[in-house]
Amino acid sequence: MIETIRIGHLLRETTASPYRNLVTRPTGAAVRNRIEETLSRSDCPTALLDFSGIEVLDFSCAEEIVAKLLLGQVSGRSRFVVLRGLRDDQREAIEQVLTHHRLAIVAIVHGGEPLLLGWVSADARQAFACVCRTGPAGAGDLARALGWPEPRMREALDALALHLLVRSEGDCYHASLVA
Amino acid sequence: MTRVIEVPTHLDDHSFDQFAAGFDAWPPEEKLLVDARGAQWASPYGLIGMLTAGQAVAEARRERPLLTVPTSDEVKRYWARVGFFRHAAELFELHGRVPKASATGPSDVLLDVTPIRAMDDVHQVVEKVNEAALRILHGELGLERNATMRFSMALSEACQNIVEHAGTSGWVGVQVYSFRRRLGRRVAVIAVSDAGVGFRRSLESTHAKRFGDRWGDGAALEAALIQGVSRFRDPSRGQGFAGIKGFLDRWKGKISIRSGTARLSIVPAWDDDVPLADHLAFFPGAQVQITIPAHEESR
Repeated sequence: MIETIRIGHLLRETTASPYRNLVTRPTGAAVRNRIEETLSRSDCPTALLDFSGIEVLDFSCAEEIVAKLLLGQVSGRSRFVVLRGLRDDQREAIEQVLTHHRLAIVAIVHGGEPLLLGWVSADARQAFACVCRTGPAGAGDLARALGWPEPRMREALDALALHLLVRSEGDCYHASLVA
Repeated sequence: MTRVIEVPTHLDDHSFDQFAAGFDAWPPEEKLLVDARGAQWASPYGLIGMLTAGQAVAEARRERPLLTVPTSDEVKRYWARVGFFRHAAELFELHGRVPKASATGPSDVLLDVTPIRAMDDVHQVVEKVNEAALRILHGELGLERNATMRFSMALSEACQNIVEHAGTSGWVGVQVYSFRRRLGRRVAVIAVSDAGVGFRRSLESTHAKRFGDRWGDGAALEAALIQGVSRFRDPSRGQGFAGIKGFLDRWKGKISIRSGTARLSIVPAWDDDVPLADHLAFFPGAQVQITIPAHEESR
């Protein structure tokens, strides 16, 4: 089950204006509050934040909406958060603010391809790409696919699972929304 | 006694130091006459710098300064068209005939001289600029389409600094003009100015100790622009300038910030400015200029 949140709708509701640009820190904070309200009422394990129709996303809003949403969920977070509908410049803004906080999130780009934005270790990034490429698989199979020792792969996958960037079900890992 | 401050013939971010030197002391004790009769051209930075001077005098509760309008009809028409006189009339006693502002078709002005008083003004400015930015930045300057969005991001962050840090209102202007002497190409320029506390005072309580004897206007600018620090203890702050720098690096752009007695610039290869100009004449608040050159093939 996926809770889809259209950021453009929230922006217009929050500001009571026909704005298409997500700019300024207070606007970002207000939109984040609305997202948190929506999520607090939802039982869906995955939240999909859809940025389609948004034009400018400045660094202040990227920080207030995405980074602070993740920071607010650090303790006891149990929901996957995935972004969709981002243009290159918006992805860069989010990438910068998440890297600053050593956080990461999954974005769906180019018609369904999952992409990690923000900071993860080099091993975790390779492991994520491997899970996306191979589909759901165990640590042993994924380690063999990259020619790694299994403990190295398990460590990378555990880090991804801890940050809710992949889903682990039993011995099987799969990309959070792509499964 | 009245102190006459002569507006340089070409008023831009460089000749602005000459303009600032005319004030002698802040807040000025004497009545001021800003003499723009000989002005032949002023960049957005120059125009909003003059308004900032008028604003600072008003906020210091000094006598309303005089401003003599340019003699040149063409210059007067242009200053009227970008909204300069409309705002100047609230801050100065204007002397000389001021033409009515009239729009005459497509222009290189992306944003008229606009006051920034609250966050909603930042929204309005970005909404307004986006419409013209695609036509001018992509269509005329040959920048990639998505450069338009990054340009607006930079504009938003620069304007937000006024609301968050200046402690008073400020001004913004955005324009495209020919930069033949220094670059041989056209440029898009964002100019932002405020009459507020300036970078040194804004950062003093949280960062001065770390710099010790080095602390001053130059060190404060270095802390904000190079090290990305903010007066807020929230570790997420200070990323606006980092984002702007990334954008400028890609487009070989320049950012220059003047505050108090110093100006710090990130200087691209096409410019011969010094990275840090110190011991300049004091001027209130902060003045920012962001310059994005046209793509080389779109001179």
